[in-house]
Amino acid sequence: MPTPILPRRNFLQGCSYAIASMAGARLTNLSFAEQNNSADTMVVVFLRGGWDALNVVPPLQGDDRGIYEQARPDIKISELLQLNDQFGLHPALAPLHDLYQAGNMGIVHAVGLDHDTRSHFDAQEFIELGTPGSKSTTSGWITRYLQGVGASSILPVLSTSGQPTSLLNFTPTVSLSTPEDFSQWDNGLVASQQKALRQLYSGDSLLHRAGTRTLDALNVVSPLVEAEYQPSNGASYNDDEFGQQLKTVAQMIKLETGLRVAAVDYGGWDTHEYETDGNGGYIAELLGNLASGLSNFYLDLDSGYTNRLSVVVISEFGRRLVQNESYGTDHGHGSVMFTLGGNVNGGQVFGNWPGLNNDQLYDHADLAVTTDYRQVLSELMTARLGNPNIESVFPGFSGNYNPLGIYR
Amino acid sequence: MTSQLTRLTRRDFLKLSGTLATASLLAACQPEQETPVVSLPTTESEPFVANETPTPLPAVQLAIIALSRMSFGMRPGDIESFLALGGNDDERLRAYVQQQLNPDSIDDSDFEAHYSAAAFETLYKSHEQLYADHIASNPYDSNNDDYWQWYSKPAHELVDATLLRAVYSKKQLTEMLADFWHNHFNIYFWQDDGVPLVASYNRDVLRSHMFSNFRQMLEAVATHPSMLYYLNQNNSSDAGPNENFARELFELHTLGAENYLGVRDPNTVEKDASGISVGYVDNDVYEAARCFTGWRVDDDLGEWQDGIEITGNFIYYRPWHDRFNKLVLGKYIVADQSDMQDGRDVLDLLAYHPGTARHIARKLCRRFISDTPPDSVVQAAAATFTENHDAPDQLKRVMETILLSDEFKQSWGQKIKRPFEAGVSIMRALNSEFTRVPSGISWMIGMMGQPIFERRSPDGYPDTKEAWANSMSILYRWNFAVGIAENWLNDDDTGATVLTDVYSQTPAEIRTAEGLADFWINRLLGRTMADVDRNAIIEVMAQEYGIQEQLSDDHVQYVLPGMIEVILMSPDFQWK
Repeated sequence: MPTPILPRRNFLQGCSYAIASMAGARLTNLSFAEQNNSADTMVVVFLRGGWDALNVVPPLQGDDRGIYEQARPDIKISELLQLNDQFGLHPALAPLHDLYQAGNMGIVHAVGLDHDTRSHFDAQEFIELGTPGSKSTTSGWITRYLQGVGASSILPVLSTSGQPTSLLNFTPTVSLSTPEDFSQWDNGLVASQQKALRQLYSGDSLLHRAGTRTLDALNVVSPLVEAEYQPSNGASYNDDEFGQQLKTVAQMIKLETGLRVAAVDYGGWDTHEYETDGNGGYIAELLGNLASGLSNFYLDLDSGYTNRLSVVVISEFGRRLVQNESYGTDHGHGSVMFTLGGNVNGGQVFGNWPGLNNDQLYDHADLAVTTDYRQVLSELMTARLGNPNIESVFPGFSGNYNPLGIYR
Repeated sequence: MTSQLTRLTRRDFLKLSGTLATASLLAACQPEQETPVVSLPTTESEPFVANETPTPLPAVQLAIIALSRMSFGMRPGDIESFLALGGNDDERLRAYVQQQLNPDSIDDSDFEAHYSAAAFETLYKSHEQLYADHIASNPYDSNNDDYWQWYSKPAHELVDATLLRAVYSKKQLTEMLADFWHNHFNIYFWQDDGVPLVASYNRDVLRSHMFSNFRQMLEAVATHPSMLYYLNQNNSSDAGPNENFARELFELHTLGAENYLGVRDPNTVEKDASGISVGYVDNDVYEAARCFTGWRVDDDLGEWQDGIEITGNFIYYRPWHDRFNKLVLGKYIVADQSDMQDGRDVLDLLAYHPGTARHIARKLCRRFISDTPPDSVVQAAAATFTENHDAPDQLKRVMETILLSDEFKQSWGQKIKRPFEAGVSIMRALNSEFTRVPSGISWMIGMMGQPIFERRSPDGYPDTKEAWANSMSILYRWNFAVGIAENWLNDDDTGATVLTDVYSQTPAEIRTAEGLADFWINRLLGRTMADVDRNAIIEVMAQEYGIQEQLSDDHVQYVLPGMIEVILMSPDFQWK
């Protein structure tokens, strides 16, 4: 089968800088598969490093406010955005406060891992495997969720930063940062090369299947490069990695190819020193980016997609109540989670507040965990994702399942 | 100064270095092309979970195993050199390992010529000089780019030098180990303080100890400003110990998470015959953090503290040390020990602990043998580690145990190259020529997921295929092959070039698609491919011609790079 040869040399001469070289197949007509059921697209935003829950959602008043201020004389947050009688939100999260007030965001406090660890890597692994205490699990919790519901679509799972442990052993995951970056460089022979690659990657190993998946994804994604993406409702994404990743997810959701899960990582939360500068400083910048990204993402998708959208924001643990000598906080325990979406019973802080008295703290040091993170995810799966089989996703947990009423 | 730098993102640094991949560039250079109509893949009922026992790969000769796992990929002639080392495989392997473990014996003139041509300006500087020239007395105005260029110059030069060594040095095991240990004792390159000092960290801590003694290496790590800054040890005082360094020292550098027993009462932990805890709990981390208080950098820039200068060297600062007694891993550490003794006691406890021997042995076996190395070789390596824990060549002996083991010889294809290796191996395989590294090269290795020295978290880049067999990482391996073979990665701004001429490396008498495919498959892989795969390669070379037809020079010049790229993109080129 002869392949027409392009005027390649002319092209090459004009393009000595190779990053300039690309042009995947363009799609002019295509029919996307209908999404095969009404489950939400779940977007999991994992804040790596252990975010300081007590500075994200600090106590607003009362005894606990006093304990908080005493424990953190140099890094306490003031001028909070009121959430209810008890808690406020860090002022850098103002855009999320709007979503909270509009009923599209809920907060779960004193939530986390029911396992004794202050190690980042253990805690992340336990959370993402969905089996606290056991690292021998061979699949991630999202993998097991998808096994339960099936995921027969072109692009069921998108990860914007490699393959997180929550998707361990889920081979159809497509990882890409932005559609612009996700294109195969074309030397004029790319069609012929791709044909060969189909053959070369037709085996059954992890690597073979990832290669095949890459070729499939190129077909889906390359047309997106052609037209500049215009977010809806005047939404505007920051030019940082987090903003660009969320923009990519929004584009994929709007493609309606049946995207079920997107995993987005946002790192840098390990605030051992110089955490704040008044209400500004390092953590305020992180939170500002988080809020800007999520609120614009929500605004962008509030064009007919938010009723089938569930965003979860999670981190591996919170941090110590008492600040350290470097104006930071060390690894702690209880954390806070955010849930966003059109079907969230928003405007509420869920969970039981354990208090900040010394005898109420975990190990006399950290915010205690009163809500297992699996409660939140189990409720999400049951109410919004079409998988009520909690036991298969979180083995050994279903007996403790006790929904908080986060979702409609 | 430092807070300003904190805010610089990786993108900013790339801008500093002149790496720009802008959309407009992309748009300007798209070839005119007919718009094809592509049909999307139909919904497949593909099983989700990877086959845990995929079809086994065909066995390969020992030369390929050794060169693929002890080097950044084979250069032309490497297999022949390996085969000339002895009369049988065992002899050859032993000779190769001996040579590589004694790198001073290796003639490395080709690399040295490249290194001197690269004319690095800062890499010869001592730690103290780096600190003085690039931090304490940076001659430029900190509002100007010049200041940041000068500040980050040693780091940028180290990236270039690292690529240069990986591609050209014949001391390949040395380079593999430097990469391993940088990941093991990871520091993030662009952390706010001390960016220029990484040049010293890499040279004076990692490279100078990686064939010698682990205990000594550990102390070199624990007293180097790069690590003191990275894990916040520099601010750890008796008034408020910062536990970040102590925690990672236990969890990552020595005992490993497999020996972490969680948040438990230390008195309940089982002890070995000499009364040392079999694993660690949180309390051990806190007590160890107290032991290290006062281990800091002599960097009094701005704040006046008694006895603190601005040399940028490590200093034990007694006023910050917590002088009282501590209990670490069951060992009682008395109050008021001599300078640094508390910390040194902790390093002794950790370096000589059997849990550390197993942890380090397993990681090295994972790097050099298999993602899931057999326990037998891990135990053997751990035994060597422990038996030689005071030996000046302890780590060399551990490597010998691993590399000469039956498990090493008998494993193939249980790992894939990590992105940095993948990129370097392409340049090695194609005899690519460069001295200073065009910024596109490090940018692309970043797009594969492993920007050089830029792992932010202290655990280092993952070392198993699950982490790298994803679409973005694979796509940029493919693109990298294209970028190199087509000579597309030259840097117009700086004049840095990477040049590859595959045509002149092809014998003129071979002019059929079949012949060219077979020549290059053997040249790049050192072996044959499965028939169906070979046919796919031949088809790329032949295009509209017959597979045994004599091809015109024009056709060969035009298509040859494209065919070679496909071999480099193949799974066969990724296994090791």
